[in-house]
Amino acid sequence: MNNRNLVKGLFLVAISLAFGLGSLRYPFGSFARAGPGLFPLLVSSLLFLVGTALVVRALLSERIPIAFNPRNIALILTSLIGFALISERLNMIAGIVFMVFCAAFAGTSYSILRNLKIAGVLLVVAFAFQKFLGLQLPLY
Amino acid sequence: MDILHNLAFGFEHALTLHNLMFCALGCVVGTLVGLLPGLGPLATISLLLPLTYSIPVSGALIMLAGIYYGAQYGDSVSAITMRIPHASSIVACIDGYQLTLKGRTGLALFTAGVSSFIGGTVAIVVLAALAPALGEVALLFGPADYCALMMLGFVCVSFVTTGSLLSGLAMCLVGVLLGQIGTDVNSGMQRYTLGLPFLVDGIGLVSIALGCFGIAEITKNLDSHEDRSPFKGKIHLIPTWAEFKRIIPSALRGSVVGSFLGILPGGGPVIAQFAAYAFDKKVSKYKHEIGSGAIEGVAGQAAADEAAARTSFIPLMSIGIPENAVMALMMAAFIIKGIQPGPNMIAGHPDLFWGLVASMWVGNCFLLILNVPMVRYWLSVFKIPYNVLFPAILFFICIGTYSVNNSLEDVLVTTGFGLVGYLFSRLDLDPPPLILGFILGPMLEENFRRALLLSRGSFGIFVTRPISGTLIALIGILIAWQIAVFFLQSQKARAVPERSA
Repeated sequence: MNNRNLVKGLFLVAISLAFGLGSLRYPFGSFARAGPGLFPLLVSSLLFLVGTALVVRALLSERIPIAFNPRNIALILTSLIGFALISERLNMIAGIVFMVFCAAFAGTSYSILRNLKIAGVLLVVAFAFQKFLGLQLPLY
Repeated sequence: MDILHNLAFGFEHALTLHNLMFCALGCVVGTLVGLLPGLGPLATISLLLPLTYSIPVSGALIMLAGIYYGAQYGDSVSAITMRIPHASSIVACIDGYQLTLKGRTGLALFTAGVSSFIGGTVAIVVLAALAPALGEVALLFGPADYCALMMLGFVCVSFVTTGSLLSGLAMCLVGVLLGQIGTDVNSGMQRYTLGLPFLVDGIGLVSIALGCFGIAEITKNLDSHEDRSPFKGKIHLIPTWAEFKRIIPSALRGSVVGSFLGILPGGGPVIAQFAAYAFDKKVSKYKHEIGSGAIEGVAGQAAADEAAARTSFIPLMSIGIPENAVMALMMAAFIIKGIQPGPNMIAGHPDLFWGLVASMWVGNCFLLILNVPMVRYWLSVFKIPYNVLFPAILFFICIGTYSVNNSLEDVLVTTGFGLVGYLFSRLDLDPPPLILGFILGPMLEENFRRALLLSRGSFGIFVTRPISGTLIALIGILIAWQIAVFFLQSQKARAVPERSA
């Protein structure tokens, strides 16, 4: 399975199936009076064809391994989700501080002092946005 | 004379104190963000889009355009000084970086600045002359023709940006499908919303763009663990007269190539740079030097880059169809501001249209007098270590997404697209066609349905109408050509091992 082109093709086929099968739930209409289901079905069929072609081509050509590093993307995603959830439950100041401290683990080095400085500057920027640009940030 | 009159009208609008300020602000902020590693024009524009919400329409558009070419200039600066290529400045890395290695950074930056100015000026003349004329042609377009034009755009963009037609086309189609999420305009039915209330209005463009270009890029940079040493060399900007004379012909050639390629569907700065560079390599007096740090190698591509960036506004503003991902983003910004780009824009909002055209030239001047001499201060951005930079970029991504609708759910959607964008990049799928597909998807569906309604369900309408027939034929030729190339290559690949065995 560790073949980039094969996974790419299968990934696209999966997307096309998700949208294509979903479109069957909507009224189809006729070509002259297209319903909401017709166009997504056509587009996902086309995508299915393209995805299949990519799968076939991948099986015919050489394998290229995927370079996938789950650590960094997981850290970044966690910090963003944390930002959204904490901002909703508590306030955005806490959200920003959490984001900086969590995302920093993905960097090449970790320093609490540096994180505090970054978070401080970003909070000042956030307050400036709120005051001068009129953005409605639920900071506290 | 009409053009002069119109341009004068435009300058009246562009030269008000407010609009001058917005233009300068856009250029400066755009340059600054464009310099940051991992943020090309697409990410820069989507990041800064929320800033323009509270600004009046004409100022907002002027500022956005400023951000766009500022970002492009910033890109070429990082390419020349440190060989950090973004999608939009790959060619600048070749000769520009060679000049830096020779200690002639200042010359390269000056050349890039002046050539951009020349390219921009030529392109604005083309824009002012061509856009209104093309707008009249666009009035002849029926729904079937629009469909065919958009599909041609898909094929061309896929071909240009990824080099692999299938992957690019797949990304366009994924974009179209993502555009289906939300309420169907014709029937009022909710599609693919999974019962989630915040998906009823569809996915926000900013979420997709920041997810795929912001978060995914940051993670890619973090994965590669490259610590780039900041640029420390001296910068001596002013060239000698002999060097200056070498800039002009090359820049003029680049301007013409760029202006032309900027108008074509799927065209734009990237392809224009390559074409201008290749053209200079063929015809320049100094062609033997190109590739090892020649002025021409910087001047031609910089002029083409800038010219194409301007003329790619032509299809957007006259026909209403964006031809590449950046223009798709611009179109979204226009629509957010309540302006529908298209044949009626020039007639309906002449102050906006001509004001924007004139402001492009003003923006050019700002780039030249503001950013070129200040380039050494810009470069201090690179002294900030990436460990400090990326949490800050994440912060701006969060604030940018949040402030579109004041919704934290949008931040979660952006996060989701960050994951998807990262998967895309690991699977070697380029996201720009996705953005174009996403913007054009609803328009494509609308026109497709309308065309079939007019023809009472017969697909013949796409072939029998002269405009759409021609465009469909073009698509057929492009695809057939690609298939032929693929089979010829695989035959060659098969022939080589046989011979060696």
